[in-house]
Amino acid sequence: MSKQLQLKIITPEKLILDEMVDAVTIPTANGEISVLADHVPLIAELSSGDVVAISSGEHIPMAVVGGFIEVKKDGDVTTCAILADFAEHVADITDEMIAKAKQKAEELSKQAENKEIVDFEHFESELERSLTRVKIADKWRTRKYRK
Amino acid sequence: MAGTKEIKQRIKSVKNTKKITKAMELVAASKMKKAVSRALSSRLYAGYSWELLTSLSSRLDDIYHPFFTEHTNHNKTLLVLITSNGGLCGAYNSQVTKKALAMIKNLSNTKADTEIDIVTVGKKGDGAMRRIGQNIIASFTEIPDNNISLQDIVPLSKLIVDEYKAGKYNHVYVAYTDFISALTQSANVRKLLPISKQELKDLIESIGEEKDNKNEILPDKDSTKDIPYVFDGDISTLVGSLAEKLTRMQIYQMVLESSASEQSSRMVAMKNASEAAGEMIGDLTLVFNKARQAGITQEISEISAGMASVS
Repeated sequence: MSKQLQLKIITPEKLILDEMVDAVTIPTANGEISVLADHVPLIAELSSGDVVAISSGEHIPMAVVGGFIEVKKDGDVTTCAILADFAEHVADITDEMIAKAKQKAEELSKQAENKEIVDFEHFESELERSLTRVKIADKWRTRKYRK
Repeated sequence: MAGTKEIKQRIKSVKNTKKITKAMELVAASKMKKAVSRALSSRLYAGYSWELLTSLSSRLDDIYHPFFTEHTNHNKTLLVLITSNGGLCGAYNSQVTKKALAMIKNLSNTKADTEIDIVTVGKKGDGAMRRIGQNIIASFTEIPDNNISLQDIVPLSKLIVDEYKAGKYNHVYVAYTDFISALTQSANVRKLLPISKQELKDLIESIGEEKDNKNEILPDKDSTKDIPYVFDGDISTLVGSLAEKLTRMQIYQMVLESSASEQSSRMVAMKNASEAAGEMIGDLTLVFNKARQAGITQEISEISAGMASVS
């Protein structure tokens, strides 16, 4: 078995995931990267999309929005910490929620047109969240993954 | 039987009030618990972002970013006042408002031409500031008092960050209430921007102090210093957005602390009210019994007087 790395997905609200995985693919501001054990220490900006961890051949997809990643090595263990504003396991995004998110996204983009700046910023982040959810859930709908 | 009926009614109404205050006490207690656990669970994120910031900043001798360097071009200060929407929570609102007023006075005493703009969170602080005629640029009253999520404070933090980035203000201060324990809260004024590293560290360390064992959430600066990080992207953009996220985190933290304090001071206030109602019921029952006894005594004496006159 190949060497594993520790993956932590952290949001301001809670620790979403903390486990040993074989590899993890992360969307960054400059494109997608994959991190394996013994990766060089790295700091990068996270962009919205899906973080996919691979553990014993199975994919664990998570929808994430905005944040940072930090890869570092402590002794023998490589730790990959993902600090996201928002993160959710794809399996947690149910069809009902997708429908809701879609509806909300449409509603928000309509509302955004005639709102003041402060509100607009709020809508923007909500919109991004909703859109990411929808996009990632659609992407993983037909694929196999570990729940 | 003078007044027994009235006394009975009073007792009944006090009992009802007691029921209400008791219920409010329980609700406040459960809301407080939630707010505290939320505050605690943001600790990990805070710890990690702090670590990132230290490792980033150790790369640069002097971070030149508006978040770390003071504007000096004018004398405007922004004060954010965090209060509650509802009342019935003891001295919670008045204490934090008092702190804010002391701060305003202090600022205008040290420099005569200081201008202060206010952003209020919660209806109570908003009302207080409007009464004394302060210049309020925004007021947020939509923040829920239960299960505050990061999304709820995005508009607030965005406003503060944007105003500061635009160079409108030299400093940003926040008046909020620190949650120390269920029985103690202290109103506080803290400098939010420009970020002073020491203050930030203090804040992150204070998260969850005494509430949980601190399992080294803040690594020593030296340990992260030596890691030869590779940076993906422009380092100053990274520092910038990290600083923004940290600022937002801080605001989130302060709102959560304030919310926990609000609920706990409401809990205490309602507990006192319930106790006072209990005492009142006791006193009234005593008065009622006395009146009843007096009535019975009077009746008996009347009957025996009547018997005496008949025989």
